[in-house]
Amino acid sequence: MLLLLLAAAGALMAADQPLSFSHAAHIEKARMQCTDCHSGAKTRDNAGIPSIRRCMACHQFIATDRPEIGRLAAYWEKQREVPWLRVYGFSKDAAVQFRHAPHARAEIECARCHGDVASMTVAVPAVVHTMGTCVQCHRDNSASDDCVACHF
Amino acid sequence: MPEGSTEAESGTQRRTPQWGMAIDLDRCTGCEACVVACSSENNVPTAGEDQSAKGRAMHWIRIDRYYEGDFPNIRVRHRPVLCQQCDEAPCEPVCPVNATYQNAEGLNVQVYNRCIGTRYCAINCPYTVRFLNWYPPEWAEPLGLQLNPDVSVRPAGVVEKCTFCVQRIKRAKLNAAAEGREVGDGEVQPACVQSCPAEAMVFGDLSDPTSRVAHLANSRRAQRLLEELGTKPRVFYLERAD
Repeated sequence: MLLLLLAAAGALMAADQPLSFSHAAHIEKARMQCTDCHSGAKTRDNAGIPSIRRCMACHQFIATDRPEIGRLAAYWEKQREVPWLRVYGFSKDAAVQFRHAPHARAEIECARCHGDVASMTVAVPAVVHTMGTCVQCHRDNSASDDCVACHF
Repeated sequence: MPEGSTEAESGTQRRTPQWGMAIDLDRCTGCEACVVACSSENNVPTAGEDQSAKGRAMHWIRIDRYYEGDFPNIRVRHRPVLCQQCDEAPCEPVCPVNATYQNAEGLNVQVYNRCIGTRYCAINCPYTVRFLNWYPPEWAEPLGLQLNPDVSVRPAGVVEKCTFCVQRIKRAKLNAAAEGREVGDGEVQPACVQSCPAEAMVFGDLSDPTSRVAHLANSRRAQRLLEELGTKPRVFYLERAD
């Protein structure tokens, strides 16, 4: 389920997520960091979509009176994960092997590839991930532009 | 963070490694563990009985057998043959779309996205180690459930071949960069090298004179396959001593 990608590249469609999660509320209001939930973004290949355990670590106590949090708690009580839809990702045809960790170590801001998620309610693919986007940034940062840097 | 590690991540380490392999034929027993390990590591599809009969079986590494003498005084010699990652690769100049080239680390790279499946490379390779995906890749269940996520699955119409397990080279470099050091000798082990029970295969940086592979490549027993063609392979075979 998590592997469902937004098909049309560039189409600024908001995924029809199972809960109306607001990135802005968490980042701008609650002052959270991206890595608080996407914990692999700086250290692993995949940033990761948080498990419901992580949501409930806070929401067992915070904002429990809100209806959306009630729906979240319903998943929790049924011992189900929230079937979030993945917003970013490369299609299998692209034969791209992307790793988050080296990009984070090179101090590339999350927003460089993911847009200003902090001000979004539902995350949308604001930055189009074409090969041009990647190669231009690699060249600007004197990273490798060898084909096999990404395609293997 | 230190500048060196950024360079290492981008694939241009201060000293660019020159990957190569040495295979000790005295040790090789022809068990084909390398063949199995390779297919499993690199998502190499199974061709099936009919296609194999047409010579379309895909193995990035194979064991060539040579029989010497007459029965019953027969002797079998084995030679694992994989892409020789030639410095003067015959496959490269014939590609009309530049889908194959030698990168700075000496790897003969195959870019699946660029390949249009002319098969000129496969025809021009004297070692016959390049394979076209005639059909969309298939695996008999449950093999399809164990695909390696670090390696792309190649679509139909695309040529593929041994990469020296470039995904493992990348992984080793990333690990080294995360720890702020250079990749050590023996740290990168392609699947074939790792699986060889006789430890007949050694992989490493040929440009580092202290590496094991450089030591073996300089051995008097070291020869390269079809060296007379001038392809300058990066795989060194240590011929049997007898």
